[in-house]
Amino acid sequence: MLFAWMLVIVFLAFVACMFEDLESDIGSQSNPNSQIQLAPEMGYIHRYYNKAISGEGLSNALACTISGTIALLLLLMLEPMLVAKDMPLGYAAILAIPVGAMVGSIVHMVRCSTCHLGRESAHKRFEQPIFLDVWIGHLIPIATHNFLTVICITAIAYIQSHLTLLSGVSGASNPFPLPLLCLIWGITVGAIGSSTGDIHYGTERAFQDKPFGEGRRVVYHGQICRYGDCGIRTSKDVAAFCAKYGGPATGLTFGLIVLFENWRTVIGMVLGGLTKTELAHPGVAAGYGIGIGIGVAIVLIVLNTWLVKWARAKYGPFVGE
Amino acid sequence: MEPITLVIILVCIIIGGMFGSLGVHLLPVGGAPAAMSTATGIATGCVMLMTGSAMTGLFTASTVANFWGTNPDVFLVSLSGGVGAMLMMGFTMLIGNLIYIFGAGIVPVSGRVAVDPITKEPQTEYKTPRTDGHGVPNVAFYSGMIGGLVGGFGGALIYVVLVSQGYAGFSVETAVIVALGIFIANAIMAAYNIGGTIEGFHDPKFKERIVTGLTCAFIVSLMCGILVLIAIETGALAAGGMV
Repeated sequence: MLFAWMLVIVFLAFVACMFEDLESDIGSQSNPNSQIQLAPEMGYIHRYYNKAISGEGLSNALACTISGTIALLLLLMLEPMLVAKDMPLGYAAILAIPVGAMVGSIVHMVRCSTCHLGRESAHKRFEQPIFLDVWIGHLIPIATHNFLTVICITAIAYIQSHLTLLSGVSGASNPFPLPLLCLIWGITVGAIGSSTGDIHYGTERAFQDKPFGEGRRVVYHGQICRYGDCGIRTSKDVAAFCAKYGGPATGLTFGLIVLFENWRTVIGMVLGGLTKTELAHPGVAAGYGIGIGIGVAIVLIVLNTWLVKWARAKYGPFVGE
Repeated sequence: MEPITLVIILVCIIIGGMFGSLGVHLLPVGGAPAAMSTATGIATGCVMLMTGSAMTGLFTASTVANFWGTNPDVFLVSLSGGVGAMLMMGFTMLIGNLIYIFGAGIVPVSGRVAVDPITKEPQTEYKTPRTDGHGVPNVAFYSGMIGGLVGGFGGALIYVVLVSQGYAGFSVETAVIVALGIFIANAIMAAYNIGGTIEGFHDPKFKERIVTGLTCAFIVSLMCGILVLIAIETGALAAGGMV
């Protein structure tokens, strides 16, 4: 049962990080947003949704922690009632987690609004208007993408903090309380979404009229692609493109990280003599976990070395001026 | 509490903070320019990246610390945290490279050295002109893995020395928040010291700035450690090995 719950966590992690990246594409956030920010200053008026809530890590951490706190409050209220009536505890979780995520996303909409309006007001002297339809029209897509991220992270946190109850193996639960787990995974999901998926948005989609196959030179900065397939591009057009590669790749990153972290810990526990009641040799369990981790790290190093070599051979030196 | 225990806690906090700062200097941070493939490294800022990887390591460290119950083995738990952070960096850099190579058609090269110091691959002829490199080349990847290991080790070390009943004996939640706070303070100092982007240990900026960075980390961690000791001695956070 323990491994089954691990796989559920991995699946939720995959979905969470994919939607985190797409949310940061719809409400242009983080590093590529620096170009959206620069464009009016260089005379290129745009219709993107310009928000950057102090970095994706903190933005998602805040949304997830609000959700986790509300979910925990509801669980603490509802679980005693269910225990008194001798009903399964799942009834509490199935109400608490979505309601918490909803509150987290609504507060996220508030933050998005203040960020966008603040940033665009500062661009008044560059004659960048605040388009009210851009502001209002993007709020619901941002909230829906954020809702999916937050509900998956809250569900992961719920499973991890209640794993003893869910799998029947004692000591399997993480000692952190639910909101703290939400904070930790929120920061991590934001950090990963910022590192991987942003490349697809920043390099490819924001500068789609520049040649494919080269880095974006410093002289191109600010000259973002403002015209879409049909008419003027908004941030909603970005998410549809990035959902084809950047989003799923980001989800894959977080899913693999969560998979290998949990998997090597559980394998270590099993090899260290895990039974339903106790862990016989903690040092051996920790040692095996570390050993497996180092093995995976060596595989990653080999994979990257081979990948870079392949890219150099396939693409060849830079051609052009 | 005995003075020797207090000194051990202070020394571990200082070592943890300095390792965190060293980890940030070793990571290949490209920042905003890397998201536009204008600079080498991972496309996010120093603080977010180091904190994200340290959080992953901290999560694993807390699970492993739970194996023992009240007196976890400090070295094994910290090493688990380090390996967790290292794996997070590895996956992020590998899949980042996949997006650079297949999503943007770019060869990962360094902008600060002409030849990769470890694999001896030439860099300059593969680099786009008027950029500072792009992607995560091999040497930056190795540097990032070491940075993740070192930084994660530091963060988990602060956590385990605070949560262990044999040392500070904070509750789990308090230990996490204190460890997070001390770690982020050191990461931000390191980010100021780096001032933008850094490629790793092969970057000339690393040799120039690492001594200043570690000195600042020492001072910051010392001050944070003293605050923690005051909290333990006055019982302000229900710490001090009280059951």
